[in-house]
Amino acid sequence: MTNTPVILTRDLTKSYASLKAVQGLNLSVEPNCITAFLGQNGAGKSTTIKMLLGMIRPSSGDGTVLGKRITDAGENREMRRKVAYVAENKPLYGYMSVEQTVRFASSFYPDWRTDVANRLLSQYKLPHRRKVKSLSKGMRTKLALLLAFARRPDLLILDEPSEGLDPVGIEHLLQTLVAQSAEGVSIFFSSHQIAEVERIADHVCILDNGRLLVNASLDRLRQSYRRIDLVFPFPPPEREFRIVGVEKIRINGNEMSVFASMNSEAVVERARNLKVVSVEVAPVGLRDIFLETVKEN
Amino acid sequence: MLWYKGWLETRSRFLTCLIVLTAFCGVFVHYAQGFVRPEWSRDFYRLLSIAQEYVVIIWIMSVVLLGMGGLVREMATGTSSLTLSLPVSRAHLLSVRVAVGVLEAITLGVVPWATIFLVSSAGGMPVQFQQVGFYVLLLVGGGLVYFAMAVLVSSLVEGEYTAPAVAFGLVFLAAILFDVWLRSFNLWRLVTGDFYIDRNTYLLPRHFPWKGTAASLVVAASMLIASIRILKEREF
Repeated sequence: MTNTPVILTRDLTKSYASLKAVQGLNLSVEPNCITAFLGQNGAGKSTTIKMLLGMIRPSSGDGTVLGKRITDAGENREMRRKVAYVAENKPLYGYMSVEQTVRFASSFYPDWRTDVANRLLSQYKLPHRRKVKSLSKGMRTKLALLLAFARRPDLLILDEPSEGLDPVGIEHLLQTLVAQSAEGVSIFFSSHQIAEVERIADHVCILDNGRLLVNASLDRLRQSYRRIDLVFPFPPPEREFRIVGVEKIRINGNEMSVFASMNSEAVVERARNLKVVSVEVAPVGLRDIFLETVKEN
Repeated sequence: MLWYKGWLETRSRFLTCLIVLTAFCGVFVHYAQGFVRPEWSRDFYRLLSIAQEYVVIIWIMSVVLLGMGGLVREMATGTSSLTLSLPVSRAHLLSVRVAVGVLEAITLGVVPWATIFLVSSAGGMPVQFQQVGFYVLLLVGGGLVYFAMAVLVSSLVEGEYTAPAVAFGLVFLAAILFDVWLRSFNLWRLVTGDFYIDRNTYLLPRHFPWKGTAASLVVAASMLIASIRILKEREF
């Protein structure tokens, strides 16, 4: 098993006139992991994914996916044999039936797993003969996911995979993603559903305004991010706490709230030196990490 | 399976056009036979040359419609990301679409004239087979430029109605401009056989105008190569 990143970008940038959709992105996605790609609408997630798949050209910078250069059309085509991609709007050909869609997709991949496709067809209760255009949004999402899972890919890239699914469908999707990961498939998915990310992701990347703000394992984020609530006998001096790792400080009278990505011990130490009355250090969930990081940016 | 996709995308347009063309030819020849007596073969061939003009009009409209679609249109409908995620080059995607379109265009040229041949034979006034072949070759060999132009337009314009409107506009504009200033290069007159028909017998000559047809095919190929280049550069 190799540890070469499945996705690696160097200063990847995409500009549209004066708008920089992605700015100097240095992304490294580890193999055999589930990596979540978080960001607000318009943060540059879909643009990044489209650059990785060769649908749009970077303005500058380069990258590799499964070791193949994304800016080389031939290498990109080779890479797409081993990458399954499900786009945000779950695009499918409306004029094909479910059966025709599955047959069409299977013809491009020699490793196509008919058993998986058949199992998911019955599990998702997809009507074989029905035209895709007459399927519900949830059904279309299930069919798009089936096409990705049955391909035996090395890398799954999913853009908002749970959108359009009911809670049962979402649960099944998350379990399937974990199972795929256990089989050695690397998964890179964008999502707005932080609860889902917290449940299955090993690694989290947060993008905002085209910039990568966080790229770390979920365990490390959980261990290092802390919210420290302090109460002093006097209004606390903010600059005493402006140290490495302190992302945000809020002061309300004699109370101070510090949001730290690391060095929480040093913050507590300084507070104690300032005769703090009360100290409360609490771990921070991914939701807060995301919101604070994005707000700060 | 890209062939299958190409066929599914165009089959309703193709079958509609085929039915219209074939029905037109069958009905036209059937009634033409009612107007003229067997010994008036000159008049019958004159009517056939008129039939070719109508066939050309319907055929051009058909191939322009068949040339619509493709990746740019898929971008508007949202399916381009599925197509582009397949392990296939953009040139390959376009080539298969063009190949399916060319086969359909050839069928749209052959079947109506085969209908004319069969209906006229059944009515006791058979058209010379060589004349039928000549008309079909002119139509397909010379007329593929219209299909290639439609493919080129569909590589540039994504609107469902804008692309065919632009393509049809170019067809009419080219017909008018060439007739006024560059009459000897007028594709319309090449495809209908107007350049070559004998005005006394209304028969086409024995020798096929290979040069004109080849020039037309070269222009068509150039347009298709340009379409491939545009698609390779285009962002989706």
